[in-house]
Amino acid sequence: MKKYLLTLLLVAQPIFSELVLEITRGSDNPYSVALINFNGSNSAKYQVTSIVKNDLDRTGEFRILENNKLLSIPSSEEELNYSDFKLLGVDFIVMGSVAEEDISNIAATYKVFSVKTESQIRTSTVYGVPNKIRQLSHYISDGIYEEITGLQGVASTRLLYVTEERSKDRSLFKLIVADADGSNEQILLRSTEPIISPSWSPDSKQVAYVSFETGMAKVFTQYIATGKREIVLENQFQISSPSWSPNGKYLSLTMYQDGNAEIYILNLKNKNLTRLTNHFSIDTESSWSPNGSKVMFTSGRSGSPQLYEINLRKFNTMPKRVTFEGNYNAKGSYLPNGEGVIFVHRKNSSFQIALKYFNENFVRPLTNSKLDESPSISPNGNVIVYAISENGTGLLAGVTLSGARFRLPIQKGEVREPSWSGFLR
Amino acid sequence: MFNIQSKINKNLFNLFIFVFLISSCSSINVTEEVVYDGGISTVEASIREESSLDYETRAIFTNATVYFEFDKFNLNSKSLQTLKSAVAAMKDNSSIKITISGHADERGTREYNLALGQRRAESVRDYFAVNGINANRVTVKSYGEERPLSDGSDETSYAKNRRAEIN
Repeated sequence: MKKYLLTLLLVAQPIFSELVLEITRGSDNPYSVALINFNGSNSAKYQVTSIVKNDLDRTGEFRILENNKLLSIPSSEEELNYSDFKLLGVDFIVMGSVAEEDISNIAATYKVFSVKTESQIRTSTVYGVPNKIRQLSHYISDGIYEEITGLQGVASTRLLYVTEERSKDRSLFKLIVADADGSNEQILLRSTEPIISPSWSPDSKQVAYVSFETGMAKVFTQYIATGKREIVLENQFQISSPSWSPNGKYLSLTMYQDGNAEIYILNLKNKNLTRLTNHFSIDTESSWSPNGSKVMFTSGRSGSPQLYEINLRKFNTMPKRVTFEGNYNAKGSYLPNGEGVIFVHRKNSSFQIALKYFNENFVRPLTNSKLDESPSISPNGNVIVYAISENGTGLLAGVTLSGARFRLPIQKGEVREPSWSGFLR
Repeated sequence: MFNIQSKINKNLFNLFIFVFLISSCSSINVTEEVVYDGGISTVEASIREESSLDYETRAIFTNATVYFEFDKFNLNSKSLQTLKSAVAAMKDNSSIKITISGHADERGTREYNLALGQRRAESVRDYFAVNGINANRVTVKSYGEERPLSDGSDETSYAKNRRAEIN
């Protein structure tokens, strides 16, 4: 097993104008993979090779060698001379081809070989359509990642986020969904009023968010495919901070019924509300543990924002304080394995993304710029995407637990509040 | 010696995804899958019209803004002075209804700031209440950090943004 070092992540980052992968430090012991250019009759082969390389690079788990770094370039298994790869310290070889099945279908076939055992370990075919080469390539990347690491890949997942473009006297807000690498952006909602706190349903078919379009904060849910949406609760109160339960049946949210932020659980089917907190200080930013038994939230009850959790399986239980280090710990979310929490942590005057394992009594900082916020973890638990502020504008950055860093393309306006989908493949 | 497992998923277009895991003596993973594509639709949020409050009445309160410290929602003596004249104006003209909107600076999380903005607006409402203004003349809401007055990332800008506006 590979050991992940979290302490070596703190390196300054330059600005990029488009998707550039900046691996300041990858895993201590990356897998060395020879990625032979895809061949075949379809011209998409070049794009496929390049997207797969980017996807694998961004995981931070690999050292990728392309054709120009190799001693020989086999075009089939028969031409494969393992000793040429052993000399270069290659662990795995990937080769593949892209072909047209007919006018509306293309098929990509790829094979993975182990240099150690000198044998083929995987052969896979992915079927797609010609104008969706990116998705097809992400499927290939995830198959390779899975074969080598034993973990499910996230190249074929999606990100949800909010952008704001300011003009003289008004702003345009957009809720956008994009591939995990930031490309293929598509707009879910456009509004001149703020949109905040987007999140995914567990099946990744719906999103929930807060829109101010009615004049105050209200929670909406919306189907991605059809655009069908609804306001989850019709009443006169402000409602915000939605979070779906893992089984998809409930939405935890913050409602300002008595003027103060309190957390409630809404049954989406019968619209019953159960009150979860009752305190004169602020309680908000709820999120569910992976098995749905606990809800984490931010509370000001100690005099400063700190994370607390409530066990839903126990009757009348008191919230248990989770963070003690520093005077600002907020917007917590559980790791997919339930072993810890990621959150926004203030250190001196900087806001950073931090990780705390429940069996440790200290905070592990993951980032080090001034105004980092809104961390969201990938469904395989290996990558955290978050919002940063730079030269007065917001953009998205990511860090893997093995230490690789990357940034998503800067597009027009300010980008904020990324939320990672579940597995789609 | 074959051991075949298959997992079937159905998506919107009735495509099927088959995953075959075949383990034989050489243990090669063989898979076949179809790229999922559920499609995406864009929605335009209905845009709120400007409120029809007449501008003369409104002008009385245009400058009624009070400011707060970081992560605080208590009113300072300057704020109390500002609110005193607002209360007087409301007593002079019983037809005036007001909206108090609370705001925060960009530091800290958006939802916590939304709650903080609400606390600031509530502080102002409480002042009106104890000074005899009927609660049904006052609407309270928060914009958190979403509507800054000043775009800068320095204390001067932050101080301008930590506010409650009365209009």
